[in-house]
Amino acid sequence: MELSPLSIYLLIFGCFAANYALRFVPLAVMSRLNIPRSVMRWLGYMPVAVMGALVTVEVLLPALDAAFFPASLAAGAPAYSIFLNPGIFGAAVSMLLFRYTKSFIGATVAGIAVFALLQYLI
Amino acid sequence: MNIAGNIELKQFLAGVKDGFPIFLGYLPIGIAFGVLACQYGFTPLQAILASALILSGSGQFVALATLAASGSIAASVIACAVVNLRYTLFAVTLSPHLQGLKLRTLAWLGHTITDESFAFNSARIREMQASPQSMMGLGTIAWLGWICGTTIGAIGAQYVGDLTAFGIHFAIAAMYAALFVALANNRTQIYCGIVAGLLCLGLYFLNHLGLGLPVYWFTVITAIAAATLFVLVIPDKGEPLGHEEQIEAARLEGAHLRQAEADH
Repeated sequence: MELSPLSIYLLIFGCFAANYALRFVPLAVMSRLNIPRSVMRWLGYMPVAVMGALVTVEVLLPALDAAFFPASLAAGAPAYSIFLNPGIFGAAVSMLLFRYTKSFIGATVAGIAVFALLQYLI
Repeated sequence: MNIAGNIELKQFLAGVKDGFPIFLGYLPIGIAFGVLACQYGFTPLQAILASALILSGSGQFVALATLAASGSIAASVIACAVVNLRYTLFAVTLSPHLQGLKLRTLAWLGHTITDESFAFNSARIREMQASPQSMMGLGTIAWLGWICGTTIGAIGAQYVGDLTAFGIHFAIAAMYAALFVALANNRTQIYCGIVAGLLCLGLYFLNHLGLGLPVYWFTVITAIAAATLFVLVIPDKGEPLGHEEQIEAARLEGAHLRQAEADH
């Protein structure tokens, strides 16, 4: 598909303006307000709730797809049993390693290594 | 350089070091974006400019896909913004810890908000180890990772080969798993994360029954639902919440400990 340089630049700067507004405006406004305690408590739950959702979306849902919904997989993507999924094992290793070492880089690299190894073996 | 500047530089570099896993995780996705953008007729420079300015994995892919499907710039920009509405939630969540900062500091911090930088900074805030400088360092290294990946994809895709064999596309998921453990630092927080995850599973099965909700909505819907549920159900124990309150609590605790020592 052919795109003119003008339309490409319009796309880039349009997306930039929209994303920047979404990020910066709430930061600039809210960091100058006194936030009520109930809202602060609500926000205090937000990071862990977001992470719970992200881990599920990135690890569990692909594992469920690979085990029970082979039709939904991209062409050539392997199907795994739910009990032998490289992603679930990789994530579990990352979690355990972080729990005991507190090292993000160590936990991430170990998770990748376990994932790659199981992907190769299974 | 004065002492304050030195401390700020140290904190910035600590953030850079902390953010290195994000740099790694962004490389393969950035490469994929660089390759795809060039297939759509972007020059390498345009692809890199897009990544530097937009800094949004899913948003950039959705913008390209929408443009290909509809040919409309406006539709692509709107689609990109809709996918990234969660950044507003992240900005609001971080804002109590960024009270009173200069606008130019917020201008850069705001630009570098992504799922990954939000999660890392939240974990460090909880450990009382985040400062505006460390957050800027972390955001900067993440931004550079995204730009590096895009550059490699746009100009050198044929030399890279298939990185999926090395499992590097799993980097983001592995990082999320570690970050979940970092953030789930007490029982209530663990339950809240699990509830959000279970709600995601619920939406996933509803999708298989024909709901048709795009997956990028899962995070923001389930996180808001879980946090709302917990703030309503769990009673307020009066724990320190804001940045200043937490510093004050730590200071008081230190004073108590010193007093106890002196009494002893």
